[in-house]
Amino acid sequence: MNISLFRNMKDWPWLVLLPVVFFVAVGVLGPSIMPYDPGAQDYDVTLAGPSWAHWLGTDYLGRDILSRIIGGARISLVAMAIVLVAALAIGVSIGSFAGYVGGRVELVLISIIDIALALPSLVIALALIGILGTGYWSMITALTLAWWANYARMSRAVVTAELQQPYIEAARVMGASHLWIFVRHILPHVLALVVVYASADAGALVLAIATLSFLGLGVAPPAPEWGQMLVDGMSYIEEYPRLVVLPGLALTLAVVSFNLLGESFALQKVPRPVRGGLLRKRRKARAVEEAERNAVETGTAAS
Amino acid sequence: MSDEPIYSIENMVIDLYATTVSVRAVDGVSFNVRPGETVAVVGESGSGKTVMTLGPLGLLPEGVTVDIRGSARAEASELVGMESRRLSDLRGRYFGVIFQDPMSALNPMLKIGPQLARQARRFAKLSHADARKEAVSLLARTGIPDPEDRYDRYPHEMSGGMLQRAMIALALASRPRVLIADEPTTALDATVQAQILELIRQIQREDGIAVVLITHDIGVVASVADRVMVLYAGQVAEEGTAMDVLTQPTHPYTRGLLASVPDFRADERAATKEIPGLPPNQIKLEPGCRFADRCELVEPECRVHRPPLQTISTAGTPHKVACPVVLRREGIAVHV
Amino acid sequence: MSDAAAIEVRGLKVHFANRSGTGAVRAVDGVDLTIPRGAFHGIVGESGCGKTTLARTIVGLQKETEGTVLISGRDRAQWLKSERKSFSREVQFVFQDPLGSMSRRQTIYQTLEEPLQIHRLGSSAERRRRIGELLDLVALPQTVLDRLPRSLSGGQRQRVSIARALALKPSILVCDEPLSALDVSIRAQIVNLFTSLQKQLGLTLVIVAHDLAIVREVCSNVTVMYLGRIAEAGVTRPLFREPAHPYSQALLSAVPSPDPRIEADRRRIILAGDPPSPSAPPPGCRFNTRCPVAIDVCRIKEPMLRTVPHGGVAACHLADGERRPII
Repeated sequence: MNISLFRNMKDWPWLVLLPVVFFVAVGVLGPSIMPYDPGAQDYDVTLAGPSWAHWLGTDYLGRDILSRIIGGARISLVAMAIVLVAALAIGVSIGSFAGYVGGRVELVLISIIDIALALPSLVIALALIGILGTGYWSMITALTLAWWANYARMSRAVVTAELQQPYIEAARVMGASHLWIFVRHILPHVLALVVVYASADAGALVLAIATLSFLGLGVAPPAPEWGQMLVDGMSYIEEYPRLVVLPGLALTLAVVSFNLLGESFALQKVPRPVRGGLLRKRRKARAVEEAERNAVETGTAAS
Repeated sequence: MSDEPIYSIENMVIDLYATTVSVRAVDGVSFNVRPGETVAVVGESGSGKTVMTLGPLGLLPEGVTVDIRGSARAEASELVGMESRRLSDLRGRYFGVIFQDPMSALNPMLKIGPQLARQARRFAKLSHADARKEAVSLLARTGIPDPEDRYDRYPHEMSGGMLQRAMIALALASRPRVLIADEPTTALDATVQAQILELIRQIQREDGIAVVLITHDIGVVASVADRVMVLYAGQVAEEGTAMDVLTQPTHPYTRGLLASVPDFRADERAATKEIPGLPPNQIKLEPGCRFADRCELVEPECRVHRPPLQTISTAGTPHKVACPVVLRREGIAVHV
Repeated sequence: MSDAAAIEVRGLKVHFANRSGTGAVRAVDGVDLTIPRGAFHGIVGESGCGKTTLARTIVGLQKETEGTVLISGRDRAQWLKSERKSFSREVQFVFQDPLGSMSRRQTIYQTLEEPLQIHRLGSSAERRRRIGELLDLVALPQTVLDRLPRSLSGGQRQRVSIARALALKPSILVCDEPLSALDVSIRAQIVNLFTSLQKQLGLTLVIVAHDLAIVREVCSNVTVMYLGRIAEAGVTRPLFREPAHPYSQALLSAVPSPDPRIEADRRRIILAGDPPSPSAPPPGCRFNTRCPVAIDVCRIKEPMLRTVPHGGVAACHLADGERRPII
């Protein structure tokens, strides 16, 4: 099993980081690179096309679209980060605890995790928002509660597998406490796996945030948010398609770039559209790697 | 015992390949076995003993690219370069192979008996009823108690020793001429190992088939083998009759190997000697003797030329040693 | 340290729940064993005889079902509960599979440093010095420190795992089949390492093994187990010369000699069948189903350990102080 994320860093496609870095940079620098206040209305230039003053034009209230897209990046990024960190924290703690303690406690926790997993995350989120009411923080809470179960399940699987390893017993014999064993030996394995999945989930979360806002259940207007911008633009889609296309494009690019990152973590290769030939190539590459290991070991193992 | 070899390998070189490394697992080895004879191929992990014996039969693990040069002959056919369908057919008819792990030969999803019956039918025209009879008699022959009952058992219902016997029965089902046993007793307990070795001896007495025994256990060699070939890092260090090689070992590696095995029955407490160091890395091919780095007798010439395999005569039987230094120092005559 | 024996096992039973729930697997089923301080003790037997379970129970990796284990005179169960760390400075364990017993992500340095860190021993510089000493002790070069367990040879790995076990300066070292994963010529290296370590450090060494030749070579005392019980025990040499229990005789006879002259006309005792399942041991003597000399009483009454001619003890109705069965 490949447990170290950074084992083959020299083979890792650094290029996939580029779009993600761009997105994060735009989000972080947001306020300082926006040409205008994303909320500022200018009735002289409503629904204006691209110009030197407004590179991407303005919307029906005369707000600068570029500024609003940059602002949207910031909001998506922050919301996504909060949800991911919270879901990881909850998922890893519950999953690891279940796996480490075992017995009846594990059984109960597993059942909860399984129920949470059985329902689509967005459905859970919608139901929770129905209970909590709409708003930014209830969206964050809802998404966190919808997302943790997957990490919990993975953490538990890793913990259970690692606990079977003889070296855990060896640590016990050396007098190690449970806390020592967990922190030193098990947690690194859990994190290495879960972080990979989290990076792939980032894209899905950005999309979910936009979806909820689009439905009016997330970020409330007038905050610049991509889902929100899509709704606003809907009424003008016939005459001014760019009001929908531009935020849509920003959303798509963000989702795709996070997905690329996630997949490249998983494969440690540049992901390409999977065709038969590519699949065969990947399998071959894996076989060759295997053979290489075997060959190196022939000196000691397979006489 | 006929003098005509039933399986012979000439000048075999086998390279195992991966993208960036190649390992010369077998480096110019010749070997043969005659009907009714047991030849032991002895060596440590990485000595090439398994690759040499099973490689020409196409029985190496998948995922390793193999390049075989030289010749391997069985039943007047050349195995090297043979088309894989024909090779598989010949292998089934001619060779029976038993492994260390019985589950690598038996199908866990099928009952033992039908697996044997199918193997028996593959190479002889038998009715279903006859094949069943044949399978039951194979089970009985390999010392499995209550064979009628065991016929309908699954592999997981049998103990390790019984599985080993079932695998031997499977290897014998096609009535092979050569039985290749790859570490057949390594995973077994002492009393079960004794049973299995006795079984192999008995099969050989009754059928007169040739047995090639791949092992690292000198005790097993001493108890069943007629001839021995000692491999070190893909090359022959020494070969001859078991009696010659084990009682008058000549190559420094053989001597070291034997000294490192405590003799259970010797009365003197001779401290177990060890061979210092590790076997060489076969990725880097260096000229000269492979054992040079671990050898007490090493001389500068050892690192330059590959030592030739020279025939000496111990007790009138052929005995070959690949170490001119020890022969010269001890004044042992070389036969030309 | 007191005069108490290094290890004393009294009436030990270790049973495992069977998967199907029908009856328990009696891995260890009534064992008494005393190992004096400074002994080099071998425990031999075939798989399923309970030797590994016995060793694991001694060091506390396995809970006893019944009976007690005293380590240096202290009750092991109590000791582990109250002071796990001080216990682990007294007894250490070497695993059968050195690779599995080390974390695959830790370098050898980290592996060797871990026990010192757990016990908060020394500063980082002192730990480095101690690790250097440990390497010298097991004859490993400094160069292995930055490598991962995977890239070491089998013999080197076992040396590392022995070094790690010695890091806490235990007085008792229990080893579970420490040689079975190694090549023949490497085995001899590790055997010699054990003997020299025992002399240097005055360790009490317990080795679980199935290689009788090596046990004879190095162990001062030996215990032969069969199906969860002690079949025979005593001083190694005399016991191996004239084993009193028929099982020991068969076991010793099963080991082939590396000398074909001896092998050519040696009489071999071939036992019939396999050992019975440890979840359903036969009534009477546990060996009676395979014993060539069993008589009626063997099938009814379980024999007690009694003194036999070689000076040790054996559990056989046919053996006592003057006589022993010969098969």
